[in-house]
Amino acid sequence: MAPGPVLSCEGLRRRFGGIVAVDGVGFVIQAGETYGLLGPNGAGKTTTISMIAGLLQPDAGRIVVSGEPVSTRAVAVRRLIGYVPQDLAIYPDLSARENLVFFGRLYGMPAARARERASEVLELTGLADRAGDLVKTYSGGMKRRLNIGLGLLHRPRLLILDEPTVGVDPQSRNAILESVESLAGEGIAVLYTTHYMEEAERLCDRVGIIDHGALIAEGTRDELVSMVGGRDRVRLLAPGDLGAWAAALAGREWVHEASVTGQGVDLMVTGARGHLAEILAAAAQAGVTVRSVEVTEPDLEAVFLHLTGRALRD
Amino acid sequence: MKALSIGLVNLRRAFRQRSNVFFVFVFPMLLILVLGVTFGGAATPRVGVVSAGSGPLGTALVRQLEGLPHLKVVAVGGPAALVTDVARGNLGAGLVIPRGYSEAIRGGRAVALRYVQRPDPSSRQLGQAIQGVVAAQAAVLGAARFAVAQHAAPGFQAGLAAARRAEALVPAVTVRPASAGTVPFAQRVGEFDEGAWTELVLFLFLTAMTGAVGQIEVRRLGLSRRMLATPTPPSAVIAGEALGRFLVAIIQAAVIITGSALLFGVGWGSPPGVAAVVIVFSLVAAGAGILVGTLFRNEQQAIGVCLLLGLGLGALGGCMVPLELFSPAMRAVAHVTPQAWANDAFARLVGDGATIAGIAPQLAVLAGYAAAVLALASWRLRRVLTA
Ligand SMILES: Nc1ncnc2c1ncn2[C@@H]1O[C@H](COP(=O)(O)OP(=O)(O)OP(=O)(O)O)[C@@H](O)[C@H]1O
Ligand SMILES: [Mg+2]
Repeated sequence: MAPGPVLSCEGLRRRFGGIVAVDGVGFVIQAGETYGLLGPNGAGKTTTISMIAGLLQPDAGRIVVSGEPVSTRAVAVRRLIGYVPQDLAIYPDLSARENLVFFGRLYGMPAARARERASEVLELTGLADRAGDLVKTYSGGMKRRLNIGLGLLHRPRLLILDEPTVGVDPQSRNAILESVESLAGEGIAVLYTTHYMEEAERLCDRVGIIDHGALIAEGTRDELVSMVGGRDRVRLLAPGDLGAWAAALAGREWVHEASVTGQGVDLMVTGARGHLAEILAAAAQAGVTVRSVEVTEPDLEAVFLHLTGRALRD
Repeated sequence: MKALSIGLVNLRRAFRQRSNVFFVFVFPMLLILVLGVTFGGAATPRVGVVSAGSGPLGTALVRQLEGLPHLKVVAVGGPAALVTDVARGNLGAGLVIPRGYSEAIRGGRAVALRYVQRPDPSSRQLGQAIQGVVAAQAAVLGAARFAVAQHAAPGFQAGLAAARRAEALVPAVTVRPASAGTVPFAQRVGEFDEGAWTELVLFLFLTAMTGAVGQIEVRRLGLSRRMLATPTPPSAVIAGEALGRFLVAIIQAAVIITGSALLFGVGWGSPPGVAAVVIVFSLVAAGAGILVGTLFRNEQQAIGVCLLLGLGLGALGGCMVPLELFSPAMRAVAHVTPQAWANDAFARLVGDGATIAGIAPQLAVLAGYAAAVLALASWRLRRVLTA
């Protein structure tokens, strides 16, 4: 495989009439890496992805996939890209197998190879037993799985998934997330857009937060979370006299705040998980019996709120 | 190669729906059958006969005429009315059997029958058929007179009876108009033929028009985008769409033509000529379907316009009322439609027995239409796909 990133794009810009849908977006994805584009409705995710898939010409900017420049006129580079559109793009009156074989042919596979890959993808997406049925008889989740399978058919280097779990039941959703996880394990670079914070947290090695067409933050989950101060809230419930315990904890350098409440102690700390044992040990020393511990870590939702003053989903 | 894959998927989808199979194949053939049975009779030439007071031999002659295939005998009151009706085209031809025809023949006198015809080939042909019948009766009457003259029969009635018995034993000799050279007698247009080609032209175009709806669906579902996201250039997607529509039309034509020929005995004329018309007209129809498909965003808007165009252009182009019945001005207007040219081509192939060379002008015009419509459709579709 060629050294260097699978996808690199920079300075992407695109306007529709008066609306600037994408305004200077750029990022890089390595092989085996899953990159999440997280943003609210209308943030510019689909527009960005359409440009990367070569379906929309940017007004400005540069896109390179495995060393080959992407544009609406560059046809050959598309063999490297798998594109899973936000809306289902499947023939409802063909079977799953027919859909797969057809698109396999469009990816340039000989007929026999297309049939072979179709069978493999049907296994992979768990649709093998319904392969011959017309797609319009499928459940929403099955259609979503096929939609993704079509993007995997030709073993792309870069797989682009545009909100692949929208409107999917929890079971299918989990299956989809699992398959994306395994793809990254095979060395495919994955670009995943979503406005579900939990999906981005679970899947993505790095996340770009996009709002009003611009990338306002980028990094690993922990890096992003540290932007909001990285403080975890620890809520301890315990009876009795808690003053000495709270005072002892307040002296630790990783504790930013310790306050005694009616039922226990509330702490604001850095790295709560790593310090839980120490907190409990201090309780034992102070003769306090802890009844329950609740740790709340900041998440990407909080990051988004911090950066924009708005919730990701309203 | 990819265009072929796209075309074949279109084809598969078009014929997967049962209702489509009905409307594309079965319905047009049913119409050919129904129209053939309903109007085909009216299209058989009507021969007016004046026979009042002509006696039993006159009646016998009328019976004989009625026994002829492909014509209908109509009784007319008098010679004046007959001439008027033939002149107006209400009757294809007319025959006057004079009063006293039987007595005159019995009496051995020569009798002249008056044949009134229109100055056209079909009227002349009718005349030949009628002459044949008259000649047959004359032969029998001659034989009867001969028997009497030879004293083989006691009187004319007996002689006639003997001659009729003898006639039944003599092998029938019929005379058919034969043709030599390249311009034959006008072949008779059979009962179903005219309805058949106009229905074919009508439905080929209608089907291609409704194909526009399918193309809009493919775009709306994001399938065109998805195709373009594969290493498939827009030109292959466009060619594939056109190929799909074209294949549907060709198969529809092949099924209707062979089906109607086998089931109802419809004559279609010279096969190379028919194939040529079907191919160029299918190209026009495929292009028109794609063009209309690019003008609308959703299927509901498109379907009404497609039906209107399909039926409207069909009607204007002579698919519902034959072009011969149009006024000259209307006929000129009708030839704005490709349907009119296709109908003309079939009329020459079926009606006049023309070969492919004989319909070269119509083919050239249709090829021009095909090139123009396909070019426009490709340009529009490329714009819509890559917008
Ligand atoms: N073809 C278009 N014509 C006009 N405006 C468009 C077009 N496509 C997108 N936009 C606008 O560009 C902006 C970004 O849209 P985009 O679809 O990229 O957002 P998104 O992040 O994918 O949103 P969602 O989560 O709802 O899918 C929106 O304001 C949208 O209305
Ligand atoms: Mg989107």
